Amino acid sequence: METSDASAVVDGRLRDAVGTHLTREDRANLFRYMAMMRASEERALTLYKQGKVPGSFYDGRGQEAISVGAAYVLAPEDRMCILHRDLGAHFVRGVTPDRYMANYMGRVGGVTEGKDGNMHFGDRRLGCVGMVSMLPDMALVASGMALAFKTRGEERVAMTFFGEGSTANGQWHEAMNFAGIHRLPIVFLLENNRFAYSTPNELEFSVDPVERAHTYGFPGVNVDGNDVEDVFDAARVAVSRARAGGGPTLIECQTMRMHGHGAHDDMRYVPQEMFEEWGRRDPIDRYAERLVARHDFSVEEVDGLRSEVAAYVEECAGKALDSPIPDPAQATAGVFAESWEPLGDGEAPWSHRGRNGGGANGASMAASEGSSA
Amino acid sequence: MSATAAPTQTSASTTEMTYLQAISDGLRFEMARDPAVFCLGEDIGAFGGAFKVTDGFVEEFGPERCLDMPLAESAIIGVAVGAAAEGMKPVCEMQFADFISCGFDQLVNVAAKLHYRQGVAVPMVVRLPSGGGFSGGPFHSQNPEAWFLQTPGLKVVAPATAADAKGLLISAIRDPNPVCYLEHKGLYRHVKDEVPEGEHIVPLGEARIAREGTELTVIAYGSSVHLALQAAEELDEDVEVLDLRTLCPLDREAILGSVRKTSKALIAHEATRSAGVGAEVAALITEEAFEDLDAPVRRLTAPDVPIPFSPPLERAVLPQLDDMKEACGELLAY
Amino acid sequence: MSSSRTEGVQQPERSPSADVVQVTMPQMGVSVAEGTIVEWRKRPGDWVEADEPICDVTTDKVDVEIPSPATGRLERILVESGTTVPVGTPLAEIDAEARPGEAHPDERAGPRRAPQSSTGQPDGEADRSQFHSPVVRRIAEKHGIDLSRVSGTGIGGRVRKRDVLAYLESEGDGAPESPEPVLHTESPYKPEVSESPPAKAEPETAAAPPPGEGAPSSIPAEQLLGPTHREPMSPMRQAIARHMIDSRRTAAHCTTIVEVDFSRVAARRGQLKEQMRRRGVNLTYLAFVARATVEALEEHPKLNAAVEGDEIVYHEDVNLGIAVALEDGLIVPVIRRAQRLSLEGMAAAIADLAERARTGTVEPDEVHGGTFTITNPGQFGAVLATPIINQPQVAILDLEAIVKRPVVVEGPEGDSIAIRPMSYLCMSWDHRALDGAGAARFLDSVREGLEAGESRR
Repeated sequence: METSDASAVVDGRLRDAVGTHLTREDRANLFRYMAMMRASEERALTLYKQGKVPGSFYDGRGQEAISVGAAYVLAPEDRMCILHRDLGAHFVRGVTPDRYMANYMGRVGGVTEGKDGNMHFGDRRLGCVGMVSMLPDMALVASGMALAFKTRGEERVAMTFFGEGSTANGQWHEAMNFAGIHRLPIVFLLENNRFAYSTPNELEFSVDPVERAHTYGFPGVNVDGNDVEDVFDAARVAVSRARAGGGPTLIECQTMRMHGHGAHDDMRYVPQEMFEEWGRRDPIDRYAERLVARHDFSVEEVDGLRSEVAAYVEECAGKALDSPIPDPAQATAGVFAESWEPLGDGEAPWSHRGRNGGGANGASMAASEGSSA
Repeated sequence: MSATAAPTQTSASTTEMTYLQAISDGLRFEMARDPAVFCLGEDIGAFGGAFKVTDGFVEEFGPERCLDMPLAESAIIGVAVGAAAEGMKPVCEMQFADFISCGFDQLVNVAAKLHYRQGVAVPMVVRLPSGGGFSGGPFHSQNPEAWFLQTPGLKVVAPATAADAKGLLISAIRDPNPVCYLEHKGLYRHVKDEVPEGEHIVPLGEARIAREGTELTVIAYGSSVHLALQAAEELDEDVEVLDLRTLCPLDREAILGSVRKTSKALIAHEATRSAGVGAEVAALITEEAFEDLDAPVRRLTAPDVPIPFSPPLERAVLPQLDDMKEACGELLAY
Repeated sequence: MSSSRTEGVQQPERSPSADVVQVTMPQMGVSVAEGTIVEWRKRPGDWVEADEPICDVTTDKVDVEIPSPATGRLERILVESGTTVPVGTPLAEIDAEARPGEAHPDERAGPRRAPQSSTGQPDGEADRSQFHSPVVRRIAEKHGIDLSRVSGTGIGGRVRKRDVLAYLESEGDGAPESPEPVLHTESPYKPEVSESPPAKAEPETAAAPPPGEGAPSSIPAEQLLGPTHREPMSPMRQAIARHMIDSRRTAAHCTTIVEVDFSRVAARRGQLKEQMRRRGVNLTYLAFVARATVEALEEHPKLNAAVEGDEIVYHEDVNLGIAVALEDGLIVPVIRRAQRLSLEGMAAAIADLAERARTGTVEPDEVHGGTFTITNPGQFGAVLATPIINQPQVAILDLEAIVKRPVVVEGPEGDSIAIRPMSYLCMSWDHRALDGAGAARFLDSVREGLEAGESRR
């Protein structure tokens, strides 16, 4: 489905079509990854409160559907710049929870082996380039990767995550502008979680960022960020568009950050009603209900997935705690590279992934229809 | 590492070229050799670049490989980082070195630290036309190399001769790390030498003895090398001139070896004084060669002043030949 | 400041260079002798018109503005505000030839001047012949050059690197007469690296080739040795080295050793220690040995002598040298007329000299004129030694460690074993001046004195 029109919105018709792109196994995976993100972050928060995590702690509680849904679309050779509330994306690509927790604890088993902390990581062997603190610098880096794909004629896509706050920053505009000029194969994943630290939307911009997309020459799409399949489908469309040479898409995912900016933030600026309202739309609980109501999962099955994840995360926590602390002699190592190595490919668990997976191409849709749940 | 680097060259023949032509030549050679190399910057495509370094490149390599960027330095640097992570070899051009400040964040926080933090190599070059002397004023005359020496993860080079301009650029492009390449605008057309044709490599991290001597070492780079050579000639003294060529990593052995020989050191650069390259080299000398010193280590630099516009003011700020002669003379007599 | 007191009208004084006009402290009232500058209205470099107020002055009678005597640029202020000076004192200088817009001499050089040289060139007039740069000191130290003999061609007569290198080339290594103080020294306590054969070893003193090394090795010696590092010998070390060699070449060295039972000394020391401590004196075993030695020397004067050519020179006084170990060498300050000192006096003198030797406050005279030397390296645990005589003396006594040993004591019931604090007194002596019997008899006297436990005086 071509979306060159800025006001393209996912509607009911598209939701039905979503069903043809996700198998039963996919749905279980989506649930599993979201649950894994939730459980891992809860476990890590406990470690933080126990004093085992130096520095600060950030999580994406309530936003699990976004990173999981969007990352699930990607092919192995696609690339991502992942941010601090997108742990699900790391998991989808193949980072295990123990490496995430060890990174927070500054251990050798962490993804950066102690060089950087909390969510400032990205496993280059899985095609992830980790974030810097200055946001949204990575939007430009992702644009650069997309430029490389385009220049070399490769059907690969770059995906970059950022919050609504960073759309106020000049670098975001430079990235959007540049991507629009060159119709780069990039997906801009905007997580509007209502607050940038304590700054609400109305102090961050006067025009909803999704509206800006068309001023840079490409479509902007608004989705329910707490509905994993909604996110998935918008990402699927955007990725296939990009892969086919259609250029960038901005996907604004509406969600709510249920914890503070960091664990040190008590969120006093958030009205209680907001918590309650968004609490009722918890992405994981909603999906659990839908799996049972609409996709033929039993309650036991869903509970089984939850407990399977819980056990796995606990096992990972033990592994992370066993990971050694880094050797101080390593502190000065690795400033310069001896040689360049290509980024590796990430895992791509979507059953229909592939160069034309989920695109507007009717043939591929027909092909996938046959294996729908 | 020996201070006098014999350039590796496959071709023995040379052509006389200006410093600017040598930069074009080096860039062109690498772009022809390696399809991953591409240029990005403002006005470099159709216009051929503000200083015409990339004149004719669009015709030869196409607009994708000589990419006209929007007025967005962060985008130039940030896009280069992403492209380099994916295996391209971007050569960014800042229209003036001064404008690196607009792309500073991407350079020092993203490019410089990616490998240390994540093992991701970023093979990119940032060309920085630097230096004053033509009433460019405060925003078109700076020599900002010290900023980059303070950023672990960046390499910094500053050629003084046309041959080195080519050789260092090729090395910079082939280095898997981000390299800041300071090309002094004043040397573009005023410096000419015989430049080896074809592949010509000057390794990073190697200084060059531009003039041998035994009584005083002038350690310089860029425009100051020429000033030092001229001063030494006119003073007719036994002055050694060491052209650093690479500012990070410094060729410590060459610096210390020369100072141990002459026991007197003057560090000269057009950049402003405080916390500049001179300060770093002076500290190195006193730390490692204290017992070889027969005189205090001195610096000849611009004072801590934005570069003024009006010619007499600019001349009063940028080190002149007379200043160089005087500084050398004082140390020789000490 | 000159205190010319001129009465009457002030004229702007003209110094020899006609373009400089002085501002002077005016006479404001017949009885006024001095004034105080309150504030300068202009700073050096400022332009000032004739009659324009240039500073404010106060006296006990009146406050007044001083008008500038000339038009021009204020060059220098000679008297700062708050200062009181006599009438007529020059306060400032104005350059009357200056033109507006011309750079002040301080500014003419341009801002680039200040940053260029971190410190100005040293004043050529000042004597810098005593300042030695690091490289000059290093070269001088390495080659034993006395820098006072090197003429300097640098600013202010500074000795430059090239000067000391030129000196080295013309004069060669080391000055024959080193101005260093003569250090009377004797053998090192611990084995030095002097074991390694010196570079220019004479054939007869070269070390025998180590076993297993028959044919010369094809591999250079340096490689066989493995990694080494070099350090230049300090002047003290070099001096000690010279004196040791000289001493062994001069005297006919022999060493005689006697065993001493220190139990009586220990008992006596136990009795006396506390009361001496209250008087600020630390009573050591060495003090006892020194006392006994001095008494023995009175009975055996041949040990308190020197050999000069064909003569033995006997000294009336016992000037007892006590060797003190320093960080990289030793020094032997002398207790003059030690025969006059009691046990307590000896202990105090030893402590004082040792303290001052370690803090480097021994006077040059105090290391000269010794007639006999005692050394006590026993605290390091060695039991025997063969010291080298401290020229031009004829003997040196070494007290080593006092160690508890089982010894045979003769009693009415027969022999038995007792545990006693024992030590060896090792004396090296010059066979030119005396013979073994004389040496032994002397040592026996010392031993008796110690084993009696009580000073004979």
